[in-house]
Amino acid sequence: MADLLSTGVSGLLASQVGLSTVGHNISNVNTAGYTRQTTTFNARAPELYGGYYVGRGADAVSVQRAYSQFLTQSVWSATSSQSRALQYAGLTSAANNAVSGSANLQTALDGFFGAVSDVANAPVDTASRQALIGKANTLVSTFRSLSSQFQQIDQQTNQQITAAVGDINSLARSIADLNGEIQRASVGGASPNDLLDARDQAISQLSQIVGVNVSQGSDGMVTVSIGNGQPLVNGTDASKLSTAQNQYDSSRLEVVGPTGSVISNQFGSGSLGAAFDFRTNVLDPARNQLGRAAIALTDAFNKQHAQGVDLNGDAGGKFFDISAPAVFNSTSNKGNAQVTASVTDVGKLGSADYLMRYDGTKWNVTTTAGVAVPSTGTGTAADPILIDGLALTVPSGTPQAGDSFQIQPTRNAASTISVAVTDTSKIAASGPLMASKGAINTGKATLGNLTVTDPTDPAFKTPVSIVFSSPTSYSINGGPAQTYADGDTITGNGWTLKLSGVPAANDTFGVKPAASASGDNGNALALAAVANQGVLDNGVTTVGKSYSQLIAQVGTAGAQANTALDAQQSILDQATSAQQSLSGVNMDEEAASLLRFQQAYAASAQVINAANTIFDSLLSAVRG
Amino acid sequence: MRISTSWGQQQAVNTLLDRQYQMSQTQLALGNGKAIQTPADNPAAAARAVDTNSASAQNDQYTRNIQSATTRLSVEEQALSSAGDILDRIRSLTLEGMNGTQTDESRQSIATELRQTLKQLVALGNTRDGQGEYVFAGSRTTTQPFTADGLNVSYGGDQNQRMVAAAAGLQVATGDSGSDVFMSIRGGNGTFVTTAGAANTGSAVVGATSVTDASSWDGGNYTITFTSPTDYEIRDAAALPTDPPLSTGTYTGETGTINFKGAQLNITGTPATGDTFAVGPSSSQDVFSTVAGIINAFEAPGGGAPMNNQINAQLQNLDQASTSFLNTRTKIGARMNILDQQKAIGDDTKLQYDTTLSNLQDLDYASATSQFVQQQTALTAAQQAFVKMQNLTLFNYLK
Repeated sequence: MADLLSTGVSGLLASQVGLSTVGHNISNVNTAGYTRQTTTFNARAPELYGGYYVGRGADAVSVQRAYSQFLTQSVWSATSSQSRALQYAGLTSAANNAVSGSANLQTALDGFFGAVSDVANAPVDTASRQALIGKANTLVSTFRSLSSQFQQIDQQTNQQITAAVGDINSLARSIADLNGEIQRASVGGASPNDLLDARDQAISQLSQIVGVNVSQGSDGMVTVSIGNGQPLVNGTDASKLSTAQNQYDSSRLEVVGPTGSVISNQFGSGSLGAAFDFRTNVLDPARNQLGRAAIALTDAFNKQHAQGVDLNGDAGGKFFDISAPAVFNSTSNKGNAQVTASVTDVGKLGSADYLMRYDGTKWNVTTTAGVAVPSTGTGTAADPILIDGLALTVPSGTPQAGDSFQIQPTRNAASTISVAVTDTSKIAASGPLMASKGAINTGKATLGNLTVTDPTDPAFKTPVSIVFSSPTSYSINGGPAQTYADGDTITGNGWTLKLSGVPAANDTFGVKPAASASGDNGNALALAAVANQGVLDNGVTTVGKSYSQLIAQVGTAGAQANTALDAQQSILDQATSAQQSLSGVNMDEEAASLLRFQQAYAASAQVINAANTIFDSLLSAVRG
Repeated sequence: MRISTSWGQQQAVNTLLDRQYQMSQTQLALGNGKAIQTPADNPAAAARAVDTNSASAQNDQYTRNIQSATTRLSVEEQALSSAGDILDRIRSLTLEGMNGTQTDESRQSIATELRQTLKQLVALGNTRDGQGEYVFAGSRTTTQPFTADGLNVSYGGDQNQRMVAAAAGLQVATGDSGSDVFMSIRGGNGTFVTTAGAANTGSAVVGATSVTDASSWDGGNYTITFTSPTDYEIRDAAALPTDPPLSTGTYTGETGTINFKGAQLNITGTPATGDTFAVGPSSSQDVFSTVAGIINAFEAPGGGAPMNNQINAQLQNLDQASTSFLNTRTKIGARMNILDQQKAIGDDTKLQYDTTLSNLQDLDYASATSQFVQQQTALTAAQQAFVKMQNLTLFNYLK
């Protein structure tokens, strides 16, 4: 009957394994990535005893993870998407804060144009002119501050890219190392549960940064690829990613694979994918839109300012300064050609960036997104390449086939805008021309509006005398006779003058350039009207409107990001719930298991006790 | 379905955190009263708020423009009102001086007073606005427009008019050039001017003149020559003495009028044979020359018909000047009306913008407060449920 003793011992031992596993589960209830383990028991092979088999107890044969490859992969995939949405929402929220902060461009624009109106109300008043320069500086610094906030977000994106690449490399290394350990530990056929959990946890962390694709090998090792199939871990080998400066714009980082090719645009999901996506689809367009507004303001205001005359009697100079469009050489260029770009027509200027590539015979222009841009011209100074309001010229050097340049017409424009006028007397508030009526006129014609139509007319500033030879006929500076009827408009060199009333023969009218220290406010009124002048998009969009478009653009991106985050969060929660409901530890369940194994253990001990009692009974019977 | 204990707890905690976040957002909104914290909250409304703010700021600027224009126009109106009073005074002094009882000495003293009034008139022409700019200088607002040299007054301004933007696309003049108001005043009756010949010896004096038929008046120069105290002939001034006269007539004294080419003249007194009166188109004469002409006439000794002829001609010019001032004041009144209307429109518009802005970006406190209470209830419930759940574990009964 010694068998009963060993049967009882087998029950004790099996229950101990069960108790250990329950204890392990309870201990790891809060361990991230831990998978609940269960013990499986088998009955021992029975012993043939005469004509029948007698059972010999139980063995704990394995400790297994409550694991589903499918559910775990779902969690990884949902983690990548949620992490992307989270990162995207965080970055767009930073952009939103930038445009909703105190540096409100619209307020600065309103203040500036208000100051222009104040100058129109008091054109020779130094205080109002000084106030205008002050408001102009406020406006310029608002442009710059917004631009620098966007630049900071860009730099943060760069830092996040660098950190993400570091994390990817260290996680890839961990996964490869764990692959090796798991292979060694699995040699006897036992499942190294906690190592498997550690590897899954590392992959889960990787999936936060970048979308992963995991395939299980027969040797227990996994192969991990990221993004669009870029291999990362193969067995015990881990690839190393690195960051490099963009070949055109050294201020931005790209991710480079082990072969040296740029793979920045291959990360669909994960926080790294979000960083690149945000940069391309939110930040760059916002910066370009802001820059475009700055260029539009500079162009429209300077053009109008140039039409006026300042207190010294000189034509208005530049009011704002802004840099020319930025052109970047590719670091892989073989030729020595240089490219310059200038804005020719703000109305046609878009928010795109362009690539200009030489194919050996001619230049081809595409947007950075790869859309071909129709262009005219060959690129010489006399025949520049004209695209979307830009003129591109190759003033020096010879390009080689394959050489390329990137043009960012608007990206950093807002950070370079400055006020060119510091001297209050240089504000050209006065109109360029003055009309006059002859002092001895006997007719009843009076002066109406003098309107500038083309200030670039070469004879624009030539003094003009209009002499009527009869009430219906006049000549300009002794030129051919022209007919006049009451209320007609007389057309001169780039201007028109309306008269009303009937003149008499020998009546004269004159148009001549404005004098210095003029209290005229014609140009100041026109400058104030620039606020409502359609400048962008072929003369449709005002500068202010382009800013509210920027607000809408950034706001919409933010709202979409928040919605996407909510959706992805609930998908992740569902996936995690499903996975956890299989693999997570439930304390009540463990408490029940604990009782179960405790009772089994106690009962097995009773079996040993019974064996002992039986043996004692036998001994005492023999002893008599 | 199994529930993972730690995930269950985590989810419960996440719910608590979510509810707390929502409450903090509502609290933030209640604190600053804004319905839109960042554009992402409502992109379309945020963009519209920016546009509306801008329109409102522009509207405010137009109101300021209108205030500044109104001030400037008031100064001009005040100056012209005073100038009109001065013209009235000049007129009564002149009529007093024409009185037959006056002597050379008394006329001299009237002339002295007239010289004073001329200086006043020049000073009014040099009126400045609140910013120290000359109102009647056209665009040369920093240079004194009228300078007097004895009785000669010259104008140094130009003929420009300053405008103000009173609304989008609406500009209103905030001044009139001194050239228009003081200088380019039509002489005579506004159409033609009559001048007595310098060598006239008779007592004939030209009184009222008028245009009876504007279409017949051709703006030429004509001479009325008395061939006898009762007969006159009218000739084109450019005609040769041998040409026949345009017309002839009989002078019947003050009851009759001389009419030709749509012009009508009242001549009183007795002309001498050979006396002439020239009739020509009106040209501009400034108000200062008119006053100077009166002064010169009074200061010249003798009086009588030559003086009366001169004074009568200048009185006509003085009337033209009064009309010019009055016309300008009417124009100023019309402009101020426009500005007042625009200001009223601007005030209404401001109200609309304020309402729109408030609808766009101001928090609805009633709904936010009730939302806050709801969120508070939800958070409390979640907290209580969490605590209750934590007590429900089998281990509590393993004693």
